[in-house]
Amino acid sequence: MSFRDAGPPVALIVIFGLFAVLSPQFRSLTNVQNIVDSAAVLAVVTCGITFVLMMGSIDLSAAGVMGASALTVSLLVANNRNDNDFGFLAIVAAVLLGCVFGGLSGLALVLLKVPSFMATLGVSAVGLGVATLMFAGVQPNISDTMLESWAVERFLGFSYLAWIAAACILLGWLIQRYTRLGRYAYAIGGAEEVLTLSGVKVKPYKVAVFVFAGAFYGLGGVMVTSQLGAGLVQAGNGYDFSAITAAVVGGTLLTGGRGGVLHSAVGVLLVMVLTNGLVQIGVSPYWQGGVEGVIVVAAVAAAVIPQRRRNQVVK
Amino acid sequence: MSTSVAIKPPGEPAAAKERTRLTGFMPLIALAALIAALTIADPDFLTQRSLTAAARTAAPLIVLAAGATLVVLCGGIDLSIAALASLSTVFLALWIPNLGGLATPAVILVAATIGVVQGAAHVLLRIPSFIVTLGGMSILSAVALVVSGAGTVRVVDDSSVQWLDLYVAGYVPMSVVVAVIVVALIAVVLKVTPLQSWISATGYSESAARLAGTPVDLVKIGAFAVSGACAGLAAVMLVSRQFSGGPTMADNLLLPAVAAIVVGGTAITGGHGSVWRSLAGALVVTLLRVGLPIVGVPSAYEQILYGAIIVVAVALTLDKSKVSIIK
Repeated sequence: MSFRDAGPPVALIVIFGLFAVLSPQFRSLTNVQNIVDSAAVLAVVTCGITFVLMMGSIDLSAAGVMGASALTVSLLVANNRNDNDFGFLAIVAAVLLGCVFGGLSGLALVLLKVPSFMATLGVSAVGLGVATLMFAGVQPNISDTMLESWAVERFLGFSYLAWIAAACILLGWLIQRYTRLGRYAYAIGGAEEVLTLSGVKVKPYKVAVFVFAGAFYGLGGVMVTSQLGAGLVQAGNGYDFSAITAAVVGGTLLTGGRGGVLHSAVGVLLVMVLTNGLVQIGVSPYWQGGVEGVIVVAAVAAAVIPQRRRNQVVK
Repeated sequence: MSTSVAIKPPGEPAAAKERTRLTGFMPLIALAALIAALTIADPDFLTQRSLTAAARTAAPLIVLAAGATLVVLCGGIDLSIAALASLSTVFLALWIPNLGGLATPAVILVAATIGVVQGAAHVLLRIPSFIVTLGGMSILSAVALVVSGAGTVRVVDDSSVQWLDLYVAGYVPMSVVVAVIVVALIAVVLKVTPLQSWISATGYSESAARLAGTPVDLVKIGAFAVSGACAGLAAVMLVSRQFSGGPTMADNLLLPAVAAIVVGGTAITGGHGSVWRSLAGALVVTLLRVGLPIVGVPSAYEQILYGAIIVVAVALTLDKSKVSIIK
């Protein structure tokens, strides 16, 4: 582990220690459980976005995809709007829908050559539109016992959601470390030209990464539905930006080729500890977005300082 | 567009020219087709009343899109315009009781300053513009929530912004006149000063522009300043119409504004485009918005349409010869 990689974990420990000294409520066991539980959804979404960022692309579609998958799952499990009761299959359907949206972003990128931030901005709008159509003015409240238990039941002190998030991080790490998809995502971010010249067809892998990320957003939407007990269009509100913040703070470069799922997991904890700690010491929760905005700009700025002289052109 | 020819690869100038000509008329064709379709669907559409209403809806969008177009022409993007406009509505609503008529220029000035700060952060810290303005969007929304206490701020005495609700010659809403004047002003200032070529040069090839002595950094910061000022003016228009300011009031204008810019035919890669195109784009987007209910399509499809429009329009206008690798 290099000095650079050590930065975010050290920052996490320092910030945690600081808040623990400042606020007695913060260092209570319940609050620590609370932080981990509330980090679950963000961890899953960040896991997905990390792969996109590793390629040097960006993904702003999380909010829209999560909204659409939240509505899908809440209308397919037992709910007050219709007689469906598909249970686990509903969750699979919501995740697959996420894959479809991710695929749309990826195809727009490689076939139409639309830059990823524009393509995903568009796909996010489409997702929100689809969610609004499914919402149809009446909020679907879920009554599926399995899905409801995710947010309530605890195992070894943490909610099922937190364990699902941990499983996702493990899965993401294995894929990043041991599969072609993960290795190529790194390589595309590091030197796409070299990869192309070596005869690798990068386009299918780019689409695959977006599909993979979409699956995580789909699962994220399901998890939010479990927390809220209802399917809302705004289920993913703010998660797109929070996930980018968490990934960047964890040490994933926006230019691609650096970072990874474990970095992002540390980043997620950093963001959650910071926002939770600030609320505990009396800062208005409305500042949360502002704090995230400042850290994302600061983290990106700090990351580009070493290459400042070389990179004259920044769009 | 002599500069564009210089960087086009040799061998396909005719095809490229044809393409440019086609995309140049795209917004006008779309506009004419939309008006025709809406008139057929609902003959009442071409009446003075509904046209005036549509134009009034379009005014803030035109101003927002025109300002952000300058940033896009430089090759960047400003995602903070809607959040900045929301914050400006809050400021305006809070300041009108004390400053009266001075509140409007004060808000525009503050918004322009916020634009300058974002531009400076982009240029000096060398952070991509979309990440600076994405961060800016988040920060500005937070400030708006805190300043307003997360609620709507009512404007009791709106006499100082009432002038925007007047009608010129009895028919044309004042806000539309102001919007068109702003677009014309930006266009004329660009034309009579070296700014036009500086902006194009920055957008087409930043490193070449730098070598040729263009003050690239200042041009970019200036573009962000205009973008901010326009967001402030759009906020004034919104407050004059809604008699209140709100921390999320203009947030849903981001997608329409981006859609307006790309539908107008301004290339997201920079250099190619103009503020007039964004004016046409804003009218197209507004007509789609007011037209969907007329044709009987639920307004939920509006979002889906914006998403599709953005992707398709960017794909059509993108200068593919310039970028070999698209991230």
